Amino acid sequence: MPLKIYGQQLDNRLLIGSALYPSPQVMKQAILASGSQVVTLSLKRQNPTEKSGQQIWRYLQEIVQQVDGHLLPNTAGCKTAKEAVTLAKMSREIFQTDWIKLEVIGDDYNLQPDPIELLNAAEQLINDGFKVLPYCTDDLVICQRLYDLGCEVIMPWASPIGTGKGLMNPYNLETIRLRLPDATLILDAGIGKPSDACLAMEMGYDGILLNSAVALADNPVLMAKAFDQALKAGEQGYIAGVMEQRQTAHPSTPTLDTPFWHQN
Amino acid sequence: MNIHINGKAYALPHENHISVSAALTLHFIEAQQSTFAVALNGDFVGKADYDSTMVKNGDSLDVLLPIQGG
Repeated sequence: MPLKIYGQQLDNRLLIGSALYPSPQVMKQAILASGSQVVTLSLKRQNPTEKSGQQIWRYLQEIVQQVDGHLLPNTAGCKTAKEAVTLAKMSREIFQTDWIKLEVIGDDYNLQPDPIELLNAAEQLINDGFKVLPYCTDDLVICQRLYDLGCEVIMPWASPIGTGKGLMNPYNLETIRLRLPDATLILDAGIGKPSDACLAMEMGYDGILLNSAVALADNPVLMAKAFDQALKAGEQGYIAGVMEQRQTAHPSTPTLDTPFWHQN
Repeated sequence: MNIHINGKAYALPHENHISVSAALTLHFIEAQQSTFAVALNGDFVGKADYDSTMVKNGDSLDVLLPIQGG
């Protein structure tokens, strides 16, 4: 089954960031190796004589063309709804997309999203025609409110950005999946290992957004491939239906007609 | 008048306002790059409005370009 983002069907369920790689060349190789069709990027002040930003921009354009993919601009660094809305509008003009990964940070220590400003910004952007992919905590009610506002995609964190701590609160994440069965749920931030991504996919999450786990790996290209496989394994595991846990042991081998020396 | 572009101060003693287009020529010493977007005092200004939107004394212009992001 394809991943669906606001009606757009994608063959691959990994969304990948473009930051923190050892070089632009490794970034390109890793993103292509991941199979991802959605690449995140941002906007920033830059010295106009600085050429590195232009080089990255060319690489990203080449990548999305090569994989028939999509750019997903983010509002990283914004702390108020007003800042996020302005940055989203600037991104829409530059990147010619109404997709926006909405980030509004409320605390610098753990980069935790500000739920009040996030809801405010999401409402303004949806009213302006944006297709909003909000980055939020694993708070069920915030996720419900975002969905009720019209966010077809919700992106709760696994753990704080860049920590690689994996799924801090699996119960919360499972509850969000259970209570929002029709939302496209993408786990965003905090993924460290391929097994983290696999676990989320086994829960029925629709996709994973990550950056540091690949970019900061010793071998980003190989790690990108590992995540591609982990997502596919988790998705197939979810579709196949995981057995229920049982409290007591049950022999796998049939016990009928066992030899006499086992029958005592 | 005094304005800021990306935090850098510009003194324009003979002007009391200039268009966003004119302000951008201060910022981009070389030919303007096509891939950028502008906000004036924190509000988005679309490309179609660069000539008609005026920058006045004390205003701040932000000119943003694509960069890597997660």
